[in-house]
Amino acid sequence: MLPDGRLIAPHPIADDGDELHFCSTCAFGSVCLPAGLNKTALNDLHLLVEHVGPFHTGDHIFRSDERFAALFAVRAGMVKTRQVDDEGHEQVLGFHLPGEMIGLDAIHPAKYPCDAIALDTVYVCRFSFPALSTLAAKIPDVQQRLFDLLSADIGKSNRFSGDHTADERLAAFLLDLAGRYAARGFAANAFRLVMPRADIANYLRLAAETVSRVLRRFQDQGLIHVDGRELELVDKAALQKMARHILRD
Amino acid sequence: MQTHAAFDPGLIARYDVNGPRYTSYPAAPQFHAGFDEAQLRAVAHASNEDPIPRPLSVYVHVPFCLSPCFYCGCTRIITRDRNKSPIYLQRLHREIELTAPLFDRDRSVQQLHFGGGTPNFLDRAQMAELLETLAQHFSFSRDAQREFGIELDPRFCDAEYVRALAPLGFNRVSVGIQDFDPDVQAAVNRIQSVAQTRAVLDAARESGFRSTSVDLIYGLPKQSLAGFARTLDEVIALAPDRVAAYAYAHLPQRFKAQRQIHAADLPDAATRLRLLGLTVEKLTEAGYRYIGMDHFARADDELARAQEAGTLQRNFQGYSTHGGCDLIGLGMSAISHIGTSYSQNAHDLPRYYAALDAGRLPVMRGLALSEDDVIRADAIAQLMCQGRLDIAAFEARHGLDFQLYFDAGLRHLRKLARDDLVEITPQALHVTARGRYLLRHIAMCFDAHLAREAAPAVRYSRVL
Repeated sequence: MLPDGRLIAPHPIADDGDELHFCSTCAFGSVCLPAGLNKTALNDLHLLVEHVGPFHTGDHIFRSDERFAALFAVRAGMVKTRQVDDEGHEQVLGFHLPGEMIGLDAIHPAKYPCDAIALDTVYVCRFSFPALSTLAAKIPDVQQRLFDLLSADIGKSNRFSGDHTADERLAAFLLDLAGRYAARGFAANAFRLVMPRADIANYLRLAAETVSRVLRRFQDQGLIHVDGRELELVDKAALQKMARHILRD
Repeated sequence: MQTHAAFDPGLIARYDVNGPRYTSYPAAPQFHAGFDEAQLRAVAHASNEDPIPRPLSVYVHVPFCLSPCFYCGCTRIITRDRNKSPIYLQRLHREIELTAPLFDRDRSVQQLHFGGGTPNFLDRAQMAELLETLAQHFSFSRDAQREFGIELDPRFCDAEYVRALAPLGFNRVSVGIQDFDPDVQAAVNRIQSVAQTRAVLDAARESGFRSTSVDLIYGLPKQSLAGFARTLDEVIALAPDRVAAYAYAHLPQRFKAQRQIHAADLPDAATRLRLLGLTVEKLTEAGYRYIGMDHFARADDELARAQEAGTLQRNFQGYSTHGGCDLIGLGMSAISHIGTSYSQNAHDLPRYYAALDAGRLPVMRGLALSEDDVIRADAIAQLMCQGRLDIAAFEARHGLDFQLYFDAGLRHLRKLARDDLVEITPQALHVTARGRYLLRHIAMCFDAHLAREAAPAVRYSRVL
């Protein structure tokens, strides 16, 4: 608790790591440690994992077409990835929560294919990719972990490109977020929708007013509760039924 | 509600200080020029980005008055020159064109309020044109529950004018009375008969207005308990749905018109308190509920129902059932409340006109609330609207330890508890029947800005 009676930051942050310990959400901590590599050992190998930030709302973590040199893991805050076409139309590719990796799609052809933008105050870990490759060559578990991450990243994309109703899309979107928060040890049924509704709409390929209209109806039906940006899932079973065609896996 | 509690002179002396009315927290004197057009545009943009953006409430300020009421502390311009309105309206239309596009079209206007000044300074054609422009640029709610209200001065409008407002969408009317006592009316330069007032209220009811409201002021020069009792009887006979009884704020340094009022004619603090007590007593006997501060409503009125349901809100017009709207203020000196910000337009016509002529929004000052401001505003709103603050719910909402966070404020509040204004338990704060007369004092315990201020006396009116 802070001295003035405030409790610690209301938003999830994976900042329990330090120079000696991995963050609990670290994508690599769980494979490095069994291999006998704690953070000190990684430092000794000049494989220092750099903590970078804070980035503020609207700041770029990397830009489209920049030379690829590192992967990033979100430690705190939310990161949006997006592409902008020649005519200036934006397509939101995804939202990334603490513990999640970004930049995996940049390994080939060695430049970032999208922008990564902070949606609030963001801290990230920077993994130098040459260093990580070296480590992967030495430790099979690290290599396997990297393959897992890449595979999961491919599966995630374009989930919403199919022919689904607005209700199905939004139910799936909310459950997907809830599941990802839960997987990283955060509260799964109540979270903050940090991303603007225009970004949600763009990501789900819906109009902004449709997003609000459906959420309002969900709220009237007692499925969710919305207060500002705070969202609570009240009837998960009903949402799951609605989203089953999208969240087949 | 008990009838008015006894206040001994010692207690009155202790509580007869200056303080804000908390139509906003932080209060308007905290607004600063650093909050400019760019900031206003940014908060408006951000307000569109919630998953379910808040609906809109629009306030339109008509600054002109035909005759000066000496008590008035509103921002207004006294003129007999009706040619002033087309010039003003031209800028107002421009402001609507510039402001409306900042808000996404799916955010409907659930509340519209015309205040002043005197909104009926505008003639029927001007009013119709203004409503048309508003409807064109904003999405008016089609919900039957929408509240479109207008303040009317019965001395300058007839039944025909009132009847013409209903088809424009207005469904609530608020009429200024202040006091029917002829001595008081002479002392404040506002001569208005009961018949004039009744004509406006009757016309409103006949043409389908859903709600009527009247304003009274206690603490005016020459006011007496006997005279005000007669006024209250006449008001009860007029049967409005709501009554607002405001405390007169005598600040002649700030409001030039008030210099016409002789301080010697003003009732003292004890009499003011008795006037409020009398008002509460008479109106509650007649079936009105004391909502708090200066507002009364029939028990079946939405305002009373909102208080019971815990959804009552406080805003610049007093209390409101429409919480959770973003308020857009249009016109000279109008205040907006968008997201967690307040902002105010230029206070005089030259600067209001100059900004709009240059294609700029006429915002001149404002405030982006800090996290602490938001927390304190919530505490003040709970106490002023519900008369109660549930500590566990408050702690959960803001992620804090109530006792620790409000350590200093609670020390002040315990003094008020000893005077039986508030009851403090480990679970909740309750405003007592007696404390409802002194809500401003209770709120002041939670005001962090007041504590920092050098001389609140200059800026705020007497609390009693």
